[in-house]
Amino acid sequence: PADTRDAAQPWPRSAPAPVTDVARLCVCDLLVAQCDPNCCCDPDCSPEEFSLFTACSVPLVTGDSRLCSQKAAVYSLDVEANPPQRIFQLIDRVNPSIFCIRATNYKQALYLRSPEMPTPENFDELLHKFGSSAFSAEPENWKVDTEAPNPPDLNETSRYEFGVPIQTEDAFLRLPSPVVSSWCSDANPAGFLVNQDTKCIRAVSVEKCDRIPALNMLFYTNSSILAVPKSSQTVNVSVQSVVVQSLDGMRTLLKEGKDVLRLPVILGELCLNVVLGVSYHITYTDTGEIREAAAAFVLGAISKETPSVQQSFQISFTQVDTNPVALSGNPGYVVGLPVRAGSRPGEYPFQGELGSSGRCQLSVLPSSAHECLAAQGARAPVLFGHNVLSGCTLRITAAMKCQPLAQTLLDVLKGPDFPEYVASFGNSQAQDVLDWVPITHLLISEQRISATLQSSCQIPVSLRIEVKWTKYGSLVNPQARIVNVTATLTTTTLRQLPPGRERIIPVTSSVVFTDVSAPAEPGYKAWPTLNIKLPFDFFYPFV
Amino acid sequence: LSSLPLQILFYVNGIYYIFYFLATLAMIIYKSQVFSYPDDFLAPDLAVLFLMAVLEVPRLYLGCKGNLREEAAALGLSLGVTVGSVALALYLLAWQTYVLWAEVLLGALLLAAYALEAALKVTAIAAFV
Repeated sequence: PADTRDAAQPWPRSAPAPVTDVARLCVCDLLVAQCDPNCCCDPDCSPEEFSLFTACSVPLVTGDSRLCSQKAAVYSLDVEANPPQRIFQLIDRVNPSIFCIRATNYKQALYLRSPEMPTPENFDELLHKFGSSAFSAEPENWKVDTEAPNPPDLNETSRYEFGVPIQTEDAFLRLPSPVVSSWCSDANPAGFLVNQDTKCIRAVSVEKCDRIPALNMLFYTNSSILAVPKSSQTVNVSVQSVVVQSLDGMRTLLKEGKDVLRLPVILGELCLNVVLGVSYHITYTDTGEIREAAAAFVLGAISKETPSVQQSFQISFTQVDTNPVALSGNPGYVVGLPVRAGSRPGEYPFQGELGSSGRCQLSVLPSSAHECLAAQGARAPVLFGHNVLSGCTLRITAAMKCQPLAQTLLDVLKGPDFPEYVASFGNSQAQDVLDWVPITHLLISEQRISATLQSSCQIPVSLRIEVKWTKYGSLVNPQARIVNVTATLTTTTLRQLPPGRERIIPVTSSVVFTDVSAPAEPGYKAWPTLNIKLPFDFFYPFV
Repeated sequence: LSSLPLQILFYVNGIYYIFYFLATLAMIIYKSQVFSYPDDFLAPDLAVLFLMAVLEVPRLYLGCKGNLREEAAALGLSLGVTVGSVALALYLLAWQTYVLWAEVLLGALLLAAYALEAALKVTAIAAFV
């Protein structure tokens, strides 16, 4: 029909012609139908507005300066006149160079080329030339390069390398993680030797809970991992332990947790055995081969009211036949990692230190402690670089005996196993005795001057651990090294209370890190020495 | 008698043409680097330049031979080739893609030499015939 044909041609067949008249070109004329300030070539400005200008932002508009003679429009302000006036001159500028262009017979020589307007005839060709993410003068070249894309990380056929996604029989080992938003995305592959710890939210409903694969234990243990990429050797994911979490958050470890399989089951208004957390432990060899894979599950229950559930996923890697001791830095301490400490079991036989992964750890009272005597057990590790001040309150009654109280407070302040040595570097090995700094103990007793007998007992009220560290190594990459650890215990006298009275005293523990770095010394290379020696018989026959 | 001015002019023209050819070639290379010179505009210009170089050799040879042997035929042939060379030189002077001021100078000089040569050839032919 005629009207649709007319309506189908709204756009012009070619782009509008470029403006080449120098007198009409104005780069600073940005506002339509309004006067641009300090724009002398603006046609919307009236002489009164010109008189308000201070300078011309565009003093000269010319054609291509490589031409032998070109037209130029010169704009200037005559500030002497009253009121100031704009002067417009159209002159011919001459290029004195001998290589100036006298004439061109090529229309688009000195102008930018107008792009082709797409028509039904040339659309395919234009799409082929300009349709990809990069244009090239020879589009065929690009085609050849991208025709055989190499899968980026799968070229290693013999072993896994750091960061390479772990392959399973069908695809990759998936570790659901939040992408962009907090919702779980199941397409995140786990990388070899990349320890991850993610939490994400998944939408659930009780009616469909047995049909959502990500809530099912099988989804995580089903696919077996390839021991080396592109091989046929597979490693099954075994179930290491199962922890069942009730609706109110209490967790219990299942006794028969090994290799048990619990599928989601709908029971009335609840759905049980929903996967709330998976923790993979992969054992690998130093040749990049995966030996074992185990997964520890946390199963929970969801009710009809919960629209979404938060799942947490971790993956950690351990080398075969090693006992993993988490390093706190390599070699210098990293701020935020725990300070490694240990103790020597005895002078003889010389056993070496215990790492901090054992019971022996430098720890302080947690900041959540309120009542000292109830706070036994919970400890917070000392993290390098983090100054901590925490404490608890102690309620003293008349009936308390001093000595047991002092011992209890000492245990509360110092923790169950107070170490004797602290590692000076984040990666100090237990065998290197010289890399461990002994903890110095100081005792300050606040004694009342007025008539106290030495036999009155002292109870510890404050423990201050001062860690002195220095920058070690090169100036551009200094490593933190602990040089001195001093534990200062402050005690105060416990006055006998009259019966029935109570006293509340605060007990504090603090950790302070001080930087005792010496100023950096420049180290210069030694002056080169010239090693010139005359031969032995140089002055023959005189010598 | 052979025309001495014509012979001198041939000699000078030969040397000048070598200079003209090299200068024009250098300027075409310069233009192709500095300006936008698409291949389908560059090709005709280069073709004309090389054609002119190719024509120059027989033109000068025939002219010299005709002048020294006092042969009108060779001189007449040379005159014909000169007309072609003039046309090509005119193209390089006025209808090239980019015409630089230096090219205008060199081309004008070459055309003046051609014109003088043509006049002298005509008088020589008239003398020999």
